[in-house]
Amino acid sequence: MIFQKKASHFVIAVLFLVGGLAPFALRQYQVAMLTEIIFFALYAVSYNLLLGYAGLLSFGHAMFFGTGAFTAAVALVCIPGISIWSDIFLAVLMAILVGLVVGSLLLRTKGAYFALLTLAFNSLFYVVATKWSSVTGGDDGLSITRPNISIGSITIQLAGITSFYYFTLVIIGMAIVFCWYFTHTAMGRTVLLIRENEERMNFLGYNTHISRLLLFVFTGAAAGLAGAFYSLHFQFVSISAISVDMTTTVLLMAFVGGTGTFWGPILGTFVYIIVQSYLSDLTDHWPLFMGLIFVFMVLVMPGGLSQIIQKIPGVFSGKSGDEPGDRVVTEETIL
Amino acid sequence: MTDCLEIIDVYKDYSGLAVLSGVQFTVKRKERHAVIGPNGAGKTTLFNIISGKFRASSGTIRFKGQDISRKSAYALNRLGISRSFQITNVFQELSVFENIRSGVRSRYGLRYHFLRKPDSNARINERTAAIAENLGLKDVLHVPVSALSYGQQRALEIGIALSTDPDLILLDEPTAGMTREETVQAIETIDRVTAGLTLIIIEHDMDVVFSLADTISVLHYGKILISGAPDIIRSDQRVKDAYLGEDHL
Amino acid sequence: MNEIFVFSLHGLAYAGLLFLVSAGLTLVFGMMNVLNFAHAAMYMLGAYFSYTQVTTTGLFWPSVIFCPLLLFILGALVERFLLRRVHIHGHLHELLLTFGLAYIITELVKWIWGNYPLAVNITGFLSKSIHLFGIIYPVYRLFVIFCAIMVGVAMALILYKTRMGIVLRASVNDGEMVDALGINVPLVMMGVFAFGSALSGFAGVIAGPLLSTYPGMAHEILVDAFVVIVVGGFGSLGGAVAASLLIGELQSFGVLLFPKLSLALVYLLMAGVLIVKPSGLFGAKQ
Repeated sequence: MIFQKKASHFVIAVLFLVGGLAPFALRQYQVAMLTEIIFFALYAVSYNLLLGYAGLLSFGHAMFFGTGAFTAAVALVCIPGISIWSDIFLAVLMAILVGLVVGSLLLRTKGAYFALLTLAFNSLFYVVATKWSSVTGGDDGLSITRPNISIGSITIQLAGITSFYYFTLVIIGMAIVFCWYFTHTAMGRTVLLIRENEERMNFLGYNTHISRLLLFVFTGAAAGLAGAFYSLHFQFVSISAISVDMTTTVLLMAFVGGTGTFWGPILGTFVYIIVQSYLSDLTDHWPLFMGLIFVFMVLVMPGGLSQIIQKIPGVFSGKSGDEPGDRVVTEETIL
Repeated sequence: MTDCLEIIDVYKDYSGLAVLSGVQFTVKRKERHAVIGPNGAGKTTLFNIISGKFRASSGTIRFKGQDISRKSAYALNRLGISRSFQITNVFQELSVFENIRSGVRSRYGLRYHFLRKPDSNARINERTAAIAENLGLKDVLHVPVSALSYGQQRALEIGIALSTDPDLILLDEPTAGMTREETVQAIETIDRVTAGLTLIIIEHDMDVVFSLADTISVLHYGKILISGAPDIIRSDQRVKDAYLGEDHL
Repeated sequence: MNEIFVFSLHGLAYAGLLFLVSAGLTLVFGMMNVLNFAHAAMYMLGAYFSYTQVTTTGLFWPSVIFCPLLLFILGALVERFLLRRVHIHGHLHELLLTFGLAYIITELVKWIWGNYPLAVNITGFLSKSIHLFGIIYPVYRLFVIFCAIMVGVAMALILYKTRMGIVLRASVNDGEMVDALGINVPLVMMGVFAFGSALSGFAGVIAGPLLSTYPGMAHEILVDAFVVIVVGGFGSLGGAVAASLLIGELQSFGVLLFPKLSLALVYLLMAGVLIVKPSGLFGAKQ
């Protein structure tokens, strides 16, 4: 366990270091793409806290992402001179409110019922965003201008791609690290234990409904933060940010990377965005190929890419990768 | 001495099928109380109702004078009622340590904290290790449950029930599936680790029951036939007819 | 007065369609414990197959037979070669698989038929309108209601009056036992899934001339069918009937009375049921 934790600290340090140096080696459009990867990675990590850790399959994560994206955009349009901090804060706050309201309706459900209801609620949010065009811009979307950061008398320009990249790296990077930390906290362990044996947790004094609600709200807040950065990055938001397709996107990212590990979804996001940008140059029907990849993985490689990577050290030491210890959802092996 | 648990006229039926029909008995504080009865008498159902898994169709249950009939399982546990299961019901993928710690930290109020880590709480970890040691699980502390022997899993089952420091502990056939020698040894352990607690135990081995319990309640077709000291039970003709007569005497 | 009659008939027609979709969904869920997210995508395939068939031959009736048959075969293949493989990984993977299939089917439909609405034109008696208690009403909508009633009655008869129905219901309760009795449970499950797919295909054929055929139709009906299941109760055929009627009429009168709110009404109903009776109006307690 100690070794694993050190490994995680190492992964975090390397990611930040590589992230910090990357703009020196990349072209502008690549830096923009990396920005996108970072906030989508938070989206995927938050989703995986539901799917991989709590075993809750949600088809409604885009309602948080979209709420964050729209709140950030609408606040910039409606509140002149709002600081970027207040803007992001409002976005997260709204996502938390959405999580509380929707979560309290869903908190007793799990399994297929939970999956179904999250999809239905996501559709509701989509319908509302479409119909409420006076605020959301409807099918046309909303255009915004990214504000600068002011700390006291210092102003940092965020208009440039690289400066916004660093801003994203720091803020979203810290949020991802917090999510990782969360998996070791009392609440993080509780979520895992409930997924293992909910009945027993009830008999140990845990209110499992409330636990699920708290997790739902927490992951919603993280997704809302990611959504806010989505708006700030593209300086535009449309109803696609809150559509079920946006949920499908996060599901694919998390699943391709592997839902069994904390870091898998980050890898998945990276691969997804690179493959998507490559495929979309080749064909308009890239979603079809994404879908085929997804189904293939569900059938053949349910552990995702990280399953393969984890097998590699096993190959070198002559060990099979299928030992129980490799089931990363169990305690020791979650990084 | 005040009563720990009072069960007053409890009925339970599943869509018309009566399982408990007017169960009534009391358990004094620090008593070692055995519930016996033939299979299908409703013993586990009774435990499920006391521990809050199901609600009684009617009747009242009082714990330390407080009506607990409508409370849910987690609330009952926080009041001080804990239970084990007849079929091992633990966290199979996790280590013995984390299994026991789940209850210990619940007792210490570290359930939903978003910042504090159970790993870095010395009191919780010490208490967890102590419980494990008490049950002879010290050497397998960091082994996943799925790798334990059956006897160790049964010990862990009790360890988890003890982990929330209950006042009242319900053990549902803790020796199920054990050989005679294992049973005798397990009962010794149970007697030791539950010292000072109120214990209600479901057990089939009559010798064990008579040596362990202060009071025995005989459950027969959803009713308490008789509740009393082992000597009274042993000499009661109805008990002999209904239960002991079948295969034990 | 006439208006109310017309709108309640509209509601009935949509209720009929909703029932056709949700009956298959709830059947597969009740029998196999699989929530099939691809169900609505198969419904959409039914509609598109029917469109192609009607535009090439000019005949509507054959598609009522052939499209469900095609979907039956597709459903059997999906169950045999995909669903069964992930079954051992548990429900989560089954859900993921059906969700992935729905995604693929939707993208394929966009590729093959284009990302725009198509109209299925019917001719003959079905395209006419008739006088009915003082109003003129399209025959086709009455036909939809008729189909739903027939399917509902047939399903109830099969499930509760035949030997096959007994086997089906027994397989749900105790698959191993039925297996031990010499009945091929995997085959039964394949049959159920295929039948569910055929039913969704049939619903799609019926939906074609009623609504427009476009790639978003699957998601639209899926959400409504989910609401039916939530309101009616999981796995309950009676609940599906009642909830379809409720939602069909609610949609229809919602458009009449609160045009702006009509879409939200359905969700409000669902939220209300979730608060008051989470297991659904006809659902057993969890």
